[in-house]
Amino acid sequence: MQRVVFPNKILPYLLVAPQIVLTIVFFFWPASQALYQSVIREDPFGLKSGFVGFANFSAVLSEANYLNSLKVTVIFSVLTALLAMGVALLLATAADRVVRGKTFYRTLLIWPYAVAPAVAGMLWLFMFNPAMGTFAYMLRRNGFHWDPLLNGNHAMILIVVAAAWKQISYNFLFFVAGLQAIPKSLIEAAAIDGARGTRRFWTIIFPLLAPTTFFLLVVNTVYAFFDTFGIIHSVTGGGPARATETLVYKVYNDGFVNLNLGSSAAQSVILMAIVIGLTAFQFRFVEKRVHYG
Amino acid sequence: MATITLKDVHKTYHGDIAAIRGVSLAIADGEFIVLVGPSGCGKSTLLRMIAGLESITSGEISIGDRVVNGLEPSERDIAMVFQNYALYPHMTVRQNLSYGLKNRNTPKEEIERRIAKAAKSLEIEPFLDRKPRQLSGGQRQRVAMGRAIVREPAAFLFDEPLSNLDAKLRVQMRVEIKRLQRALGTTSVYVTHDQLEAMTLADRLVVLNGGRIEQVGTPIELYENPATAFVATFIGSPSMNLLDLNTGNAAWSAPAALVGKPGLATIGIRPEDITLAGDTDGGERFRARVRVGAVELVGAESYVHGTLANGEPLVFRVAGRSRMMIDEEVEVAAVAGSLHWFDAAGRRL
Repeated sequence: MQRVVFPNKILPYLLVAPQIVLTIVFFFWPASQALYQSVIREDPFGLKSGFVGFANFSAVLSEANYLNSLKVTVIFSVLTALLAMGVALLLATAADRVVRGKTFYRTLLIWPYAVAPAVAGMLWLFMFNPAMGTFAYMLRRNGFHWDPLLNGNHAMILIVVAAAWKQISYNFLFFVAGLQAIPKSLIEAAAIDGARGTRRFWTIIFPLLAPTTFFLLVVNTVYAFFDTFGIIHSVTGGGPARATETLVYKVYNDGFVNLNLGSSAAQSVILMAIVIGLTAFQFRFVEKRVHYG
Repeated sequence: MATITLKDVHKTYHGDIAAIRGVSLAIADGEFIVLVGPSGCGKSTLLRMIAGLESITSGEISIGDRVVNGLEPSERDIAMVFQNYALYPHMTVRQNLSYGLKNRNTPKEEIERRIAKAAKSLEIEPFLDRKPRQLSGGQRQRVAMGRAIVREPAAFLFDEPLSNLDAKLRVQMRVEIKRLQRALGTTSVYVTHDQLEAMTLADRLVVLNGGRIEQVGTPIELYENPATAFVATFIGSPSMNLLDLNTGNAAWSAPAALVGKPGLATIGIRPEDITLAGDTDGGERFRARVRVGAVELVGAESYVHGTLANGEPLVFRVAGRSRMMIDEEVEVAAVAGSLHWFDAAGRRL
């Protein structure tokens, strides 16, 4: 790594200041507030509050709904990340083979990323709503009893698909760039070495995409944990019967709907720890298998 | 091992940009052919067409007795060494070598045997379990060679394999490639823009220019009897002096017998055939006065870059260190037998 040294002593700090300020105001401050609130219990009317130590944490961790929410989050995140990355990789390899109109296809495939989560959720909700959805109608006509409003698995499928759909564009963009970064001569060498089709993909292309895949794994996990709130809120609202209530959704529900701020804060602290731990785990163990350049 | 035959091969990009304009060539079994030419002459394209990495617009390419026009690269029984080596970065050297064999379902013991043999002859045994990025440029080059050798193909194709190496290593690898090719007796096609590499490696040289073959022949044939002025200037370093007969005859003198050929437009003299006047005695000679512009000392000899009275440049060689000063005027000469004659179209007379 090359070290670049600014001749001016103050300029570098000024240049990084906006980012630092943003991080402090919008991350460290709220995070510290969450830490503070997680050890506080407030009365139902918000008139007084008192220090309760780890009582909020022990209450949360012994709650059956919380453990259910943890399970829901794991299933939802794994499925969303796998689906979003798998489909994006498939599309990227297909787009890589297109000769004519390459830019046109790419542009079209990137558009869904510009759709707001809540809007994306509504889109899928309308399509698959058992009462009025076109696709729900088609499914039922073909003998499939589709009802995400009553069936937890159906609801889960719906939000996974909606959440993955939104993330596919982002993953697609990175996979396309990753594919383009693979030297052409390597593919040609593989062609001469007699590796074709799927074999070439799994032995040459996929291992060379590993840095991209790893990066996307981290990003998609974080996305599934945090950024899917809008979709869940608009499609299922955490239901039916908490079948799609993820950790983030429960934080919101307990804090802003049920107004149990202490519990909600404790949950967000645990959530923060989970994501930090997960990301650290990915860098520590998964990255070892990644070959950079 | 096989012959390679090219019959009136053409390559056109996007319907109208011609890269190869009718190349016919017969490569004998076990022959080392070097395709040489300036950048953009089509030499790499031609090699890639033989490899199957570029389609053939028209014409026919056969390897052995099979026409390969419609065959995939993997079905052509060739191995290629790329300029940037194209080693699989995520595989160890051993995996790099075995990859092509595994894809062809070669038995395990056979793969082991071939890798052991190739690794021994290339002296890469200590690196077999390393990744390419842990190797130096020269070692990577050897692995790339090894990957071609273990395949035991009908032909080796080399696409400027030495151009990423430093000068010293390049000479060493050049010798090694030649030795290996002799030992294996595999038909080889080698692309380079370096005429020295071309001269030293080739059984026969193919000089390409603008998508056409200028001349095919052994290195010494091309050096002594270049068919065109282009070949004359391309082969040999520094390149041959070409003197225009229409503008230059006041600047030098030569007996009528040497310059009286019908249609003669240009005469060529190699820098190494020009001597200081007085060194050569007797015989009919070309003579000229040269103003010294620069002297390049390259070790055992020096090259003097000068200009004739009419401003045309002339380069000549002097043995050892030259004591000539800049702007000094010297008298040079060349014997009749060392002159090359070309017509207005650049063809040899």
